Amino acid sequence: MKLNSGERRRTFLIFIFFCLWVLLIGASLVKIQVFEYGKNLAKVQAQSNRTFTLHSKRGTIYDSSGEVLAISVKAKSAFLNNKDKADSLRIFNRILRQNIYLSRDDKQNIKKRIHQGDKFIWIKRKLSDAEYRRLKKTASVDQDRMQSGLDFIEEYTRMYPQNATACHILGGVGIDEQGLGGIEYSLDDILRGKNCKVKVVRDARQKAFKLQYLEKPQDGKDIYLTIDSSLQFFVEKELEAAVKKHNAKSGTVIVMDSRDGAILAMAGFPNFNPIDLKYTSPGVIKNKAISFLYHPGSTFKIILAATALEQNLCSPQQPFFCYNGVYKIKDQVLTDEKPYDYLTFEEIIIYSSNIGAARIGELLGRKKYYEGINRFGFGTQTGLLLPAEERGIVNPLDKWSGVSLDFLAYGYEIAVTPIQMVRAFNVIANDGCMIQPYIAKAIAGVVLKRAQPQKILSPGTVVRMKAIMEEVVKRGTGKTTRIEGIPVAGKTGTTKKISKNKSTMYYISSFGGFFPANRPRVTMFIVIDEPKGQFYGGDVAAPLFKSIAERLSIYLKIFPEVDKTNEIKL
Amino acid sequence: MKQEQPTKTKKTKLPGGMLGLLMVIVFIVLFTYLSLNLKTIDFGYELQELIVLRDQLQEEIDKLKSDKARLLNLERVEKEVTEKLGYRYPQPEQFIKVFDTENQGDK
Repeated sequence: MKLNSGERRRTFLIFIFFCLWVLLIGASLVKIQVFEYGKNLAKVQAQSNRTFTLHSKRGTIYDSSGEVLAISVKAKSAFLNNKDKADSLRIFNRILRQNIYLSRDDKQNIKKRIHQGDKFIWIKRKLSDAEYRRLKKTASVDQDRMQSGLDFIEEYTRMYPQNATACHILGGVGIDEQGLGGIEYSLDDILRGKNCKVKVVRDARQKAFKLQYLEKPQDGKDIYLTIDSSLQFFVEKELEAAVKKHNAKSGTVIVMDSRDGAILAMAGFPNFNPIDLKYTSPGVIKNKAISFLYHPGSTFKIILAATALEQNLCSPQQPFFCYNGVYKIKDQVLTDEKPYDYLTFEEIIIYSSNIGAARIGELLGRKKYYEGINRFGFGTQTGLLLPAEERGIVNPLDKWSGVSLDFLAYGYEIAVTPIQMVRAFNVIANDGCMIQPYIAKAIAGVVLKRAQPQKILSPGTVVRMKAIMEEVVKRGTGKTTRIEGIPVAGKTGTTKKISKNKSTMYYISSFGGFFPANRPRVTMFIVIDEPKGQFYGGDVAAPLFKSIAERLSIYLKIFPEVDKTNEIKL
Repeated sequence: MKQEQPTKTKKTKLPGGMLGLLMVIVFIVLFTYLSLNLKTIDFGYELQELIVLRDQLQEEIDKLKSDKARLLNLERVEKEVTEKLGYRYPQPEQFIKVFDTENQGDK
């Protein structure tokens, strides 16, 4: 086929255009791929890659039987994207009509921030499911016509399904899940885990197809406590009833496994719901079992008696003159509730004679008694893994006055905590071995190592002390704790509160003991602060010990000793 | 000399069959590479969906655990039992103690 000159020119032009087109494409590709490579790569990465922080889940807290005490679950938090003030105010007014609880301060603060023009404004964090459903509806109304908008993000929220049960042990967390009290605070590092950065690669439709962890994700570790939530519940219930009955200011009960020091229950009243931690007064949040400092009163005579017997200075039958209820030392006068002339060593403990105790103290001497007090661990923390544990106050020997020995003999001039007292009572229950109480059993399935028991009393002293403490319950000041068939050993305490070196009209009633006395399973210590009306330990704390011990014995299958005459054989 | 020239040209030319085979191999390699690449991307999507599902299930487990603990809370159970069912705690005199003498002792 022959082409004429016009056709040839047109063909040539088309060829030239084609070449130019190819060249143009080639040049554009060189420009995109070579000269603007870095810029375009960044653009692509910005469109397809997203890096965000993945919040770690806080560890769960379980009781000894695996019941959940505290758990983190995801919840929605609502925020306002404030692009237009008028729109934002319209949306906020709609939110207020949705029955979402916001305090007056919160409302004012949100309005103020809208007017200020803040771009990101929290409406409410960690919404309940019902609140979220209501707000979601609000968010979808007129969404397209408005510049501002209501949006949601997911956050973890801490739940305490058992409500106030074990509140003083658990403590609570803040809005950002940071531990603020109790075990939540002391083991915060373990519970919290570690947030991590994640890179998500998305396709053109913004659908994720690749996930890359830039840091190793680390969720918080789960913690298993020694407490039994059922036992804790009924201990708290009994304590509440007792505090209300005696119109007391507060009360605390510690229940410990005598054999290994595991805390089975640690109750305090008044109590609180850990969710409402920020609305609760510090006085209520305070775990009095470990941070309430008080004069132990007559319960401390157990320390005196055990130290005296350990030193072989006297026997349980040795008589002491008790000055018929009034004993003058230097410028001080010691008195007894009932006047006694002579009491044996064991009767001094059984009937709780202050003068008798002072006489035993004088026989023992300052140095030996001071050493005994230290051996029982007073003035040192128990290391329970709970925050704000007090050490107590034990004055050094050189600061003792002429009457310190006599006062210390019946539990004054010393400040202790209930946890120190339960540890000391347990020495007698646990064959003279002092074991440190513990509340955290395992972390992330790993059983925690415990301190080695320390032998501080000889078997002879333990046998004698157990017998004396059993007599306290059988015929002494602790008669109200007698349980049919189960031998109980214990000691009552009544302390007059002292303020600015002057005694007040307020008392502290206490009772410490263990059962069954022959083979102790449970050691318990009770403190009731400022009971009104009755105030003796035997009238206020001892009956509470009995009611808890009765329920505990059924729960822990501690059976009464069999009376063979009325036995029903199975 | 005249006879050697055609032999030289024969040596430089690839046989048509070999060229076809090479093209088939190249095609197969490219096809496998592309299909594996696409499969990897598919697996990426699938994995991502499974991760999301796993997280959702874990969330559900946690919520169920929390609900279970809330429902088993003794305070709530006691309230339901006493208020709705009208049950009362037994009085001490209502207990009858029966002892298993064979297995007596703490258990």
